[in-house]
Amino acid sequence: MSTTGQRRGLAAVIFPAALALLVLGALAVTGCGSDSSTGGGASPAASASSGPITVTDGSGASVTLQQPAARIVSLAPANTEIAFAIGAGAKMVAGTSYDDYPEEAKSLPKIGDFANPNVEKIASFEPDLVLAAGGIQDGLRSKLEKLGMQVYVVDPKTYDGVMTDVTNLGQLAGSTEQAQQVADTMQKAKDDAQAKVASLSRPATFLEIYSKPLMTAGGDTFIDDMITLAGGSNLGATAGSGFPTFSAEVLFKNDPDVYIADSGSMSEPGDISKRAGFADLTAVKDGHVYVIADNIIARPGPRLAEGLQELVKMIHPEASSAP
Amino acid sequence: MTRLARTSSWPGIALAGGIFVACLLVSLAFGPASLSLGEVWHFVTTGPVQGDLPNAIFWQIRLPRVLLACLVGAELAVAGVILQDLFLNPLTDPYVTGVSSGAALGATIGIVLHLSNLPWMAVLALIGGFATLGVVWMAARRRGRIDIFVLLLAGVTISYLASAVVTVLMIRANQDMHAIVYWLMGSFSGRGWQEVEIALVAVPFMIAPLFFAREMDILLQGEKRALELGVEVERTKRILLVTAGVLTAIAVSVSGIIGFVGLVVPHIVRLLVGPGHRSLLPVSLLVGASLMGVADLLSRTVIAPNEIPVGVVTTFVGAPLFVYLLRRGRKG
Repeated sequence: MSTTGQRRGLAAVIFPAALALLVLGALAVTGCGSDSSTGGGASPAASASSGPITVTDGSGASVTLQQPAARIVSLAPANTEIAFAIGAGAKMVAGTSYDDYPEEAKSLPKIGDFANPNVEKIASFEPDLVLAAGGIQDGLRSKLEKLGMQVYVVDPKTYDGVMTDVTNLGQLAGSTEQAQQVADTMQKAKDDAQAKVASLSRPATFLEIYSKPLMTAGGDTFIDDMITLAGGSNLGATAGSGFPTFSAEVLFKNDPDVYIADSGSMSEPGDISKRAGFADLTAVKDGHVYVIADNIIARPGPRLAEGLQELVKMIHPEASSAP
Repeated sequence: MTRLARTSSWPGIALAGGIFVACLLVSLAFGPASLSLGEVWHFVTTGPVQGDLPNAIFWQIRLPRVLLACLVGAELAVAGVILQDLFLNPLTDPYVTGVSSGAALGATIGIVLHLSNLPWMAVLALIGGFATLGVVWMAARRRGRIDIFVLLLAGVTISYLASAVVTVLMIRANQDMHAIVYWLMGSFSGRGWQEVEIALVAVPFMIAPLFFAREMDILLQGEKRALELGVEVERTKRILLVTAGVLTAIAVSVSGIIGFVGLVVPHIVRLLVGPGHRSLLPVSLLVGASLMGVADLLSRTVIAPNEIPVGVVTTFVGAPLFVYLLRRGRKG
């Protein structure tokens, strides 16, 4: 009798803690990474079409393939999006159960639950390149490499870092040209945004990742970078790195000019202006409350270009109406 | 033996009441937005004002959150007293009856069906909690009598079953996993007056057990002895179990799963005022409210603008206090 009671009591403490770790890890995969180094740089020596291809990945490790990858497994939806965007979709042999874009990605075989990818399952597809994510998947690399697989970690901390990952994967998959086009599109979105907001003031912007508890995007994330590129000042950057919880009182004290809520897999923000006390926020009074799809802002792939354009419209509506 | 409440219970209750009022005032006076005491007093006297942001911080964010924390703490503490003494098991907490896991399952279904806003979440959590209580109840009923030990075992079993279903739902509906996990972790962040209104429904159920203090005292000596002393054992058990179930389900429905308070507050209070329910129940109610209020105060201020999950704080605050009292109690 007492043992069961004890186990329940312990479970009440340990279970939530374990779940918290799980979520933080999962966040690092769907959203931005947590602690490892900033996005890798392309190796200039790897542009030749024959011979070994070497690039530096998001964890700072160098990844070498003797020839362009022919069988690619993706362990995160963002990686899958990049692979399809650069024209390597046909080389994809497996993805995660989270993959929902593009449409073809949904029908890929799955390597299992992405917070806990199944190493045996990954190996069974005999990939020559595995596209992993940072954070929760950090421990996975050595296991996969022991089995003879090459692993590229996508873990960008900035918008530019995503472009670097795109061109790197272009080299690894042997589709440099199309990857360059994708990177150019992303660069153009960035240049356009910069041109529009360069001379404008920087409204204090709060980006809500989740509402209960209130969470935001911290300082070292590509979301923070994108808010800055879109001409805003990210209030969440004051709360640390990663995806920190954020005090509602501090939110009110700082009274942001623009309130943007992420919506999708994480969160359904509901009617933000109807939340208790929110009617008094400047952003609500001035009508600067917006909802943005998390797929185009929290997933480090080519669609961040769309996300950036949306952010500019939200943070600087006056600049977007101008030609 | 029969007169467990040897001395008057009023000094203890008054002291606990004083501590509670102090905790309440401190919780209202301090917060990450650092309003001055003068400002806070001004807001209290002027009441809620539209269009005044600091006023909104106090009336729409801090006050409802503090009240909710205190209500939930009181609910869990009273439920803990009832269940520990009914089951005659010191390791019982409000979560063993399966009510909280059932409530969690209800809430999880709400999240998966994208009904994650109030009042749906609370309603589904309540339905889940009561449904589990019903199942456990049926399992434990034999010839019109509730077998307490079967009830405990069935509760633990159903609890594991409900948790397993929650896990399956989390994996299947992996897009909603975060929402489910945050809900399960328990928090008062982002809660407002709506949740307070739901938690207030539990107030009669916090007070009702006081009318059964004598019966509960006698039940501590076993059901047989209680029958001999003329206690309507089955009726009392029924009322108390439903009461504890309602308290737990309501608490869980507004705040998620917050551990430790329901387990440890009754023990702390027993060490301080003894096992007599005339003191134990009201003092536990007040200490539960105080502990949760202070825990939430720390959760929202210590690493502001970030927050610490309140369940972590209740454990950090409660565990050393409990160990200290256990040692002191043993010496005495």
